[in-house]
Amino acid sequence: MSFKSLLKIAIRAIKANKSRSLLTSLGVIIGVASVILLVSVGSGLKDYITSEMQDMGSNLVMVMPGEIDLDKLGAGSSAMSSSFAAMSTSKLKLEDLNALKQQVPYIEEVVGLVMGSAPIRYQNESKIAQVLGTTADYTEVRKGEFESGGFFTEADVNSGRKVAVIGYKIADEIFGSPYVVGEKFKLGEYRYTVIGVMAEAGGQGSMSPDDKIYIPITVAQRQFNQDHLGIIFAQAKSSDDVAPTVSMTQEVMERRLDKEDFTVLDQKEILSTVSGILNTLTIALGGIAAISLLVGGIGIMNIMLVSVTERTQEIGLRKALGAKPEVILTQFLLEATILSVGGGLIGILVGAGGSLLIGIFMPTTVAWWSIVLAFVVSAGVGIIFGVTPAKKASELSPIEALRHE
Amino acid sequence: MKKNSSLLTVSGVSKIYQMDEVAVKALDNISLTIKRGEFVSIVGPSGSGKSTLMHLIGCLDIPTSGKIILDGEDISELEERELSDVRNHKIGFVFQAFNLLPRTSALENVTMPLLYNSTSEEHAIEKAKAALEMVGLGERMYHHPNQLSGGQQQRVAIARALITDAPILLGDEPTGNLDSKSGTEIMKIFRNLHQHGKTIILVTHDDELANQADRKIMIKDGKIIN
Ligand SMILES: Nc1ncnc2c1ncn2[C@@H]1O[C@H](COP(=O)(O)OP(=O)(O)OP(=O)(O)O)[C@@H](O)[C@H]1O
Ligand SMILES: [Mg+2]
Repeated sequence: MSFKSLLKIAIRAIKANKSRSLLTSLGVIIGVASVILLVSVGSGLKDYITSEMQDMGSNLVMVMPGEIDLDKLGAGSSAMSSSFAAMSTSKLKLEDLNALKQQVPYIEEVVGLVMGSAPIRYQNESKIAQVLGTTADYTEVRKGEFESGGFFTEADVNSGRKVAVIGYKIADEIFGSPYVVGEKFKLGEYRYTVIGVMAEAGGQGSMSPDDKIYIPITVAQRQFNQDHLGIIFAQAKSSDDVAPTVSMTQEVMERRLDKEDFTVLDQKEILSTVSGILNTLTIALGGIAAISLLVGGIGIMNIMLVSVTERTQEIGLRKALGAKPEVILTQFLLEATILSVGGGLIGILVGAGGSLLIGIFMPTTVAWWSIVLAFVVSAGVGIIFGVTPAKKASELSPIEALRHE
Repeated sequence: MKKNSSLLTVSGVSKIYQMDEVAVKALDNISLTIKRGEFVSIVGPSGSGKSTLMHLIGCLDIPTSGKIILDGEDISELEERELSDVRNHKIGFVFQAFNLLPRTSALENVTMPLLYNSTSEEHAIEKAKAALEMVGLGERMYHHPNQLSGGQQQRVAIARALITDAPILLGDEPTGNLDSKSGTEIMKIFRNLHQHGKTIILVTHDDELANQADRKIMIKDGKIIN
């Protein structure tokens, strides 16, 4: 019997019970769609975080206050949150930054950050803004571009001038234009002069530079009444220089501070740890969804067993007319496969469409491997769960099948 | 095709149905020979084993003991795969209950046996149309079984049994579910086929029909009694 004729028979049988076929496939549709959807949320999150971290610049080495154990990061976010707490009790000083600049030859640029937030006021507009106090080298490290004006100079930092570089969004919302160099505004108690507006960087959330104000680090320490630094960024001269930068920075810092008061981290190391965690998360999400695929497969097996019982007479007749066991087997296997593969294809559309829809609210990336995996698993599920009923049909004795009521 | 040579030889065939404790001996050491072109009827009381014998000849079941040689081939020795080839090529079976596929046109029902061998679909459809014309259903090819009368359904079943040009046509009470007028029509088709050289074995309860055959075999309690 030609494959085409078998396909016709299988499709006819599926069409004869349209709503039952659809309900049977629904298990696979939901399974495949949820695998694709959950994996797209997981890998979307990973892509987002990875690109945000890469936007910070390349070959970065960070000195953070307190002790951070990257290996413990996977066990929960406690390590991360304790490091944020450590920022306010930081023992990092401007002198440490200068020491690194002088003693670590692999470093191209090194900047320190003082972080805080304060209300910004200009004419009738006001808003709480994130403020970053930093040194004149900051733009080198962060690769910033300017819409108008420029960054403050070392002289501004050293003399503690109250000048500010503002993010694009702040300029737009508070000043109504990105061309506001020379305008004066109040930040907390102090008056500042705009000397530069950063070009729009895009991105969202706390990582975006569009929503920030940059002021000289010396001024920031006065503004926030603190003498420590929240974090030190060092940029190695090349990617080969990252490893020696890390070890020398560790040595230099150990001479100046207690071991538990600082941690030297390499950007790549953080990136790989974070993406490792997110990969695990993604796989776990996909795995949970895959269980529903299994349930969908059992649904197919159930309905195929019902179908074989219902059509015992038909099977007997086909055998009486000369259908070989393997032809009957193929016919029923094909039916199960169409139900599962059809469900899989619809599931892919639903899953991909759904993740595009969710993409409006949060980052999602439809992973091609999740589509391939979901499809292969759904087809496999159909075949594996179709075998038992199909085998049962093919092994029926023709006369007993014909007599079946 | 040599006339008078034997097409079917049944020798010493028994069939025992083993049910839990009791064994039912449906056929008890049956032997018979059917020549090519012969029209034989089988009669006997209900439960005498007529259907059992037809199923064995039609390769739908296998004997407990004994030998059946059909068209030179010992079919009591074959595996299921080989039996399906014999069923397809050598046997046309007409059942009492018609056994047509529901929701499937007469044409497709008749085409079915050819789809289980290497016949091309176009050729199969051509042959099926010719077979339906032959049984007088040229106008009803696209009707589904539930749109046909019993007599018409049985004629579709006969067309299906003829489509592979099998050397033997088996009818197990083909008129049993029909009124006498339709039964007579079916019988007319059988006689016509016989005149064209087809070998036919017909099981029936109707003596009048049975007497129209060349030879009448009587079975009782699983044994031939004439
Ligand atoms: N599958 C089976 N299992 C057990 N016993 C069976 C089976 N098929 C038939 N029999 C028994 O074998 C005997 C012969 O049955 P068979 O159907 O061949 O009779 P029959 O002559 O065709 O009767 P009828 O004229 O009523 O159709 C009966 O006693 C029947 O009960
Ligand atoms: Mg019977």
